[in-house]
Amino acid sequence: MKLCRHLLFALISAWQNFWRNLGVSVGAVVSIALILVLAGTSLLLGHALGQVLDTYRQRVSVLTISVADGTPLSSVYDFQGQLEARPDVVEVHFLTKEEELSRFAADPRNRQLIEQVEGNPIPAKIEVSVGHLDDVRQIDALARQWRGADRTDPTDYQGDFIANMLRLSTWITIGGLGMLAILTVASIVIVMNTIRTAAYHRRREIEVMKLVGASEWFVRGPFVVEGVMTGVIAASLALGLLLAAYRPLVDRLQTELFFLPLSYDPRFVDVLAKDLLIGGAALGALGSYVGVRRFVRL
Amino acid sequence: MVITPDFDSRPVISFQHVWKTYSNGTDALNDICLTVPEGDFVFLVGPSGAGKSSLVRLLIREEKPTRGRLFVHGRELTHLRRRHLPRFRRTIGLVFQDFKLLPRMTVHENVAFALRTLGESRRSTGRQASAALNTVGLAGMERQYPDELSGGEQQRVAIARALVHRPRLFIADEPTGNLDPATAWEIMEIFLRINAAGVTVVMATHNREIVDLMRRRVVAIERGQIIRDDRSGKYHEALPAPALRAY
Repeated sequence: MKLCRHLLFALISAWQNFWRNLGVSVGAVVSIALILVLAGTSLLLGHALGQVLDTYRQRVSVLTISVADGTPLSSVYDFQGQLEARPDVVEVHFLTKEEELSRFAADPRNRQLIEQVEGNPIPAKIEVSVGHLDDVRQIDALARQWRGADRTDPTDYQGDFIANMLRLSTWITIGGLGMLAILTVASIVIVMNTIRTAAYHRRREIEVMKLVGASEWFVRGPFVVEGVMTGVIAASLALGLLLAAYRPLVDRLQTELFFLPLSYDPRFVDVLAKDLLIGGAALGALGSYVGVRRFVRL
Repeated sequence: MVITPDFDSRPVISFQHVWKTYSNGTDALNDICLTVPEGDFVFLVGPSGAGKSSLVRLLIREEKPTRGRLFVHGRELTHLRRRHLPRFRRTIGLVFQDFKLLPRMTVHENVAFALRTLGESRRSTGRQASAALNTVGLAGMERQYPDELSGGEQQRVAIARALVHRPRLFIADEPTGNLDPATAWEIMEIFLRINAAGVTVVMATHNREIVDLMRRRVVAIERGQIIRDDRSGKYHEALPAPALRAY
């Protein structure tokens, strides 16, 4: 019951104080909202990049081995068995020259080319699906050693491209985390100064509270609640702005950069909302706790 | 009715060779030894900067002694943990020269605020605040704001706020400093009533008329040292000739 009364007091005091120092409070909300917009944008970009990489990962986890013409079927089946026995291989599929030709011919863009060539220049293929992207290189090396592989173009996968994308993704993650750290410190400093201003305005009340025997948490409570309130309002504002921009931006990118496998992900909206609101509340609580510590020390 | 202090009982306040030196090197108190028994009424007198306020700050544990031991209600304040401070301060009634009232709160809210910080219910705080205001003669003024009151009335509100915890020790730092002589007397009458109820009162003051007329215990401090401790003293006697000129 006592705790409820203390909480109620903290909530009412925080609310009153927010309105009493409306200028400072609104300034803090807008500043933190902008910072959270930046943080949210980096989260959205990271998610979009992850989406693109995941799609590419699925594509390149299939390695295609071209089989040299004249390779005996027994050799192909031996090699297929060898591949299937490996723990890093998920599936191996052999496609004969005829199957490959009909698949090639099925693409309308190749119709003209098919009409001009004689015979079947398309080699037979072995498609190998691997569990992890990192394992593709080993399979590639193995395929290149196999005698039945076509010497001119033994394997096909975009390993280097994906490796570069992964490296880029790592650097973007590191950069994003660095930026997030700077933004976090900036937000905490803003909340700290806002709450310090509030504490300065209420120094007389704080002094009286201390003299009549209020505990440190009773004095600190309203300021921490005010900090959380500031953080949550800023996070809601930032979330509103990001959500308003997310779908139109994805639609636009899907048109302009059609080759990138980007899509609107409603599940990520929930994650973003949770991250921003919890992040905003935590930033507010931490900033106000640090900001008011000196003022409330008994 | 005047309660005779029991000098043989456990003291409410006990300074045992207490020194206080501030971080800037100022020696505020030097080797203070002072015992205040239950029910006593003590005037702390001395020129500005003598160490009276430092002594009060030590008593409410706003500051810690640099050396020596200080006991209040049998509890050694030097070793009192910060988390135990609120409970300790609730055992003391504090009154200051500048009243320290909250201007945005009514008279009643100012007094009830002291109880609300303890998490007491609104009904209970309301009843107790009204009783405390009645004791200091402010019944009917509950809804007024501090800036609508005279200095004497504001000090009564401050006393009511200090009383509402029912403390056994009252500490007042220059409570009549901002008041005219007639109002100062009214305030002193309230303090006498509180003391008559068995509450120990320690009051730092510059008001020589009040000290001389009341003939209570006078502890004179100068340059951080107790230079005189009279059980029934006067303001002038407490000071050696050169210090008199400082007043």
